[in-house]
Amino acid sequence: MPTRCQALTKTRIVDLSDDKSIYGVKMLADLGADTVRPEPTEGDPLRQRGPFDNKSGESLWYAYFASSRRHFSVNEASSASLYELNALLSCADICFLGRENPLAAHVNIDAARISNPKLVVVDVSPFGSSGPWADFKAPDLVAGALGGSVGVTGDEYTPPLKLFGELNFTISGSYAAAAALAGLHHAENTGQGQCIEVPVHECIASSLEHVFMWYYYHQYFPNARAQALERRGSLHWTNLYVVMPTKDGRMMITPAPNMDAQLAWLVEEGAFQDLLDPKYEDPAQRRDYFARLMQVIREWVAEQPSEELFFNAQERHAPYGWVQDIAQVSQNPQLEARSWWQSTTIAAREFKGPGVPFQFSKTPAQVNDEEWLSSDDSGVPETLGWET
Amino acid sequence: MRPLEGIRILDFTHVLAGPFATRLLGDIGADVVKVNSHRRAAANNAPGSPYYVIWNRNKRALALDMSRDEAKDVARSLANRADVVIDNFSFGVLDRWGVGYEAVNKSNDQVIYIQMSGMGGGGPWSNFVTYAPTIHALSGLTHTTGVPDGGPIGLGFSYNDHQAGLHAAVAILAAIEARRQTGFGQQIDLAQFEVGAAMLGPSLLDYAVNGVNAQPSGNQPPYDQFAPHGCYPCRAAGDDILDERWLAIVCRDESEWQALVKAMDSPSWCTEEIFATAETRCEHAETLNEHIAAFTREKDATMLMYLFQRAGVPAGLVQTGIDLAEHDPQLAGHEFIQFAEEEHPLLGETFIDRLPIYFEKTPCNTYKRSRLLGEDNASVLQDWLGMSAADVQRGEEAGTFK
Repeated sequence: MPTRCQALTKTRIVDLSDDKSIYGVKMLADLGADTVRPEPTEGDPLRQRGPFDNKSGESLWYAYFASSRRHFSVNEASSASLYELNALLSCADICFLGRENPLAAHVNIDAARISNPKLVVVDVSPFGSSGPWADFKAPDLVAGALGGSVGVTGDEYTPPLKLFGELNFTISGSYAAAAALAGLHHAENTGQGQCIEVPVHECIASSLEHVFMWYYYHQYFPNARAQALERRGSLHWTNLYVVMPTKDGRMMITPAPNMDAQLAWLVEEGAFQDLLDPKYEDPAQRRDYFARLMQVIREWVAEQPSEELFFNAQERHAPYGWVQDIAQVSQNPQLEARSWWQSTTIAAREFKGPGVPFQFSKTPAQVNDEEWLSSDDSGVPETLGWET
Repeated sequence: MRPLEGIRILDFTHVLAGPFATRLLGDIGADVVKVNSHRRAAANNAPGSPYYVIWNRNKRALALDMSRDEAKDVARSLANRADVVIDNFSFGVLDRWGVGYEAVNKSNDQVIYIQMSGMGGGGPWSNFVTYAPTIHALSGLTHTTGVPDGGPIGLGFSYNDHQAGLHAAVAILAAIEARRQTGFGQQIDLAQFEVGAAMLGPSLLDYAVNGVNAQPSGNQPPYDQFAPHGCYPCRAAGDDILDERWLAIVCRDESEWQALVKAMDSPSWCTEEIFATAETRCEHAETLNEHIAAFTREKDATMLMYLFQRAGVPAGLVQTGIDLAEHDPQLAGHEFIQFAEEEHPLLGETFIDRLPIYFEKTPCNTYKRSRLLGEDNASVLQDWLGMSAADVQRGEEAGTFK
C-alpha cells in the first residue's frame, strides 16, 4: 500500500483484470491507487506467464504487470470467501473486470452498484459485449491480427508479424486506465458511477497511425498504390524513416524534418554523390530525388560506426535512432540520469527494475511495494482499511 | 454530459503523440484549445493535411504567432485560465515563450502542466530530437520485433506515439484527481522514451534477473509455451495488396489444441509424439507450422476463422485497412467508423474512428471536425479571456492571431 502522497492515494481499486487490461491497472497502482488483486487459492493464472526468475521460478511478467498491488486469495468454493470478495466492491471506487480472470465470474456487479452507486466498473474484453464477434477468443496475436497492427508489421519475406510481447494489450490497458479515471472524475463530481466497456479490438484499430488515413485519403499521397499499404519492414509510410545497417550495427535513419541539413551533412562528408545534380531542382523530380537521397544515405551510413553516427546526428538535431537491444537499454545513460530504474524485489533479492514513465512534481509516481494479506475468510475490507 | 466537461486544456502539441492525448480528452468532453500559427502550419501540422485532421477533432483552433510579444502575452493569459497546459516540444521551448511551468505556476497554482518531450527533462540526452521511429529504435522495440536471425524489422506504424498520448491522458486525469484531493496542480514530465522502455518491462526485468537479452521471436511468443502460435497462409482473395491472405491461430493450452485438432478433422500428423505436449509442440514449432500451413493454404481464411472460433480456438484474419474499413462486421456493428458532423472546408467529408470507450451514463459520441488555422479565434478568446470581437479582429489584422 502506498505510504506517501501520490496522485491516486485515495482511490481504491479492485483488480479483476486479465492480460487485456492488467497494464492499465498497473499504471493506476503505480500512481498510488490503493489496488487490491484477489486471486484464486490455486494462484493467479497470470503467474504462469514468462519470463521467470531462473532461481525461484517466480513470474517476472507478473512481477512487472501486477506491481504495486495488495494481494489476497479467494476460495472459489467458499461462500464466505466469495462474500468477502463481493464486500470489497461496496467500498471500492473502481473495479476492473476481465473475462479470463477466474474470479470475475464470482462478483455480482449489479448488487455492488446498488450498495455502492459511485462504483466505476471498467469491463475490458476482446470485442465488447455485442456484435458478431463478441464471443471470439483473442489473445494478443489474434487481437492484433483482427485489429490491424499485425497486418502492417513484418516484411515481404516474412509473414505478418506480431508486435513483441503484448503490445496490443498494453494499448487496451492504457485506454482502460483513461476510461477508469474519466469515470472516477464524473463519479466524484456527480455521485454517479457507471459501467464502461473497452473493446480491445477498437483500441487497436484506433491506434494504427496511418492505416485509416491511407484508406480514406489515399488520393493525397502520390506513392499510394492502393487503399492499404503493404507491410514493408521498417520503412515508414512516409518513406522517410527506415532502419539501415551501419558499420557495426543498425540505425533508424531519417532525413526529416530538415532535408537541406541532411544534404549539407552529406556534402560536408563528401558523400553526396550526384545529389547536387541540377536535374533534382525540377519539382517533377522530387520523388526521384528522395529515393536517391535515401540510397545515398544508405551507402554512406554503411561505412559509419553506430555510436559516432548517432551522436553526430543528434548534435545536428537529426532524429536518428540507434537500434538498441535490451542489454543496451538496460545501460542507457539517459534512463540512469533520470533515475528511471527502481529497485524491484524478486524472491527476496533486489534487482534494478523498470520504473514508471511519468514524473509528477508533487505526487511522485513509482512502483510501490507489494503486500500479501492473510485472510481467514472474514474481514477483508477491514484488513485493508476499506471500511465504508 | 461528458465526463470532462468544464476542463480547459491549452494545447501546444503537434504531429501525433501530443494531439492523440488531447484528442482523447476532447472526445470525453474537455474544452481543448489547439494553438497553431501560420509559421508552423506546414506538412503534418497543416490544418488541411489528412494527418492533422485525424488527430485534431473535437478541439477548437486558435492561431497565435508566438514570435510576437503580444501573442506571448495572450498565451500567458490563456495559461492562467487553463486547467491543463500541454506540449510535446523538446524541453525548454515553452519556457522561451514565457509560458513555461515556473512562469505559469506563479499565477495559476491550479495548473496541471505536462511536457511530453522525447527524452524528458534533465539527463545527457534531454535535448535529443525524436520521432516515434527514433524512440522505437532506442527503447528496444525495433530490435525485438522481427524474425530470428533476420535483423530488426520493428513496428509498422508509430506505435509509441499512440502509447505516449494515452499515457499523457492518464497522467493528466490522475493529476486532476490529485488536485481534487490536495488543492494544487503540478508539473508532469513524461518522456516518450520511458514510455517505450516501459512497454518492454518484462524483458528488462528478465535481463536484470537472469541476464537474458531478449531477441526477436517472430510470431512465437518470446516466453510462453504456446503452440501453434502464428500467422498461416490461406487462399489469396485476389483483392489483397500482396495477393495473399493470412490467418492468425493460437493455442494456449491443451484444450485449445485438442479443439484445433478436432476442427481440422484430426489429421494423422497430430498424433505424432512430437506434438503430444505443449513443450514438444514448441520444440517442433517449425514442423508444426508447416503442417498447419499445408492445411490452411488452399482454404478460405474467413471460413476457417469462424470454424476455429466456433470450436473454441482463438483465430483471426490478418486484416488490412481495407478489411477494417469495408469488411469488419464487428467494427461496422459498433459504428466504429463515422463521419464528422460537418464537412471540412478543405477535405469535404472527413471520417472519424470513434473513441473505443463506451460510457454507460456519459456517452461520448460527439465528433466535431478538425478546425482550420485560427477558425475559433473569436470564440476561444471571448470564452477564456472575455475579449471582444473587435479586439480579436484587431489582433488578427495585426498578425498576432495568425
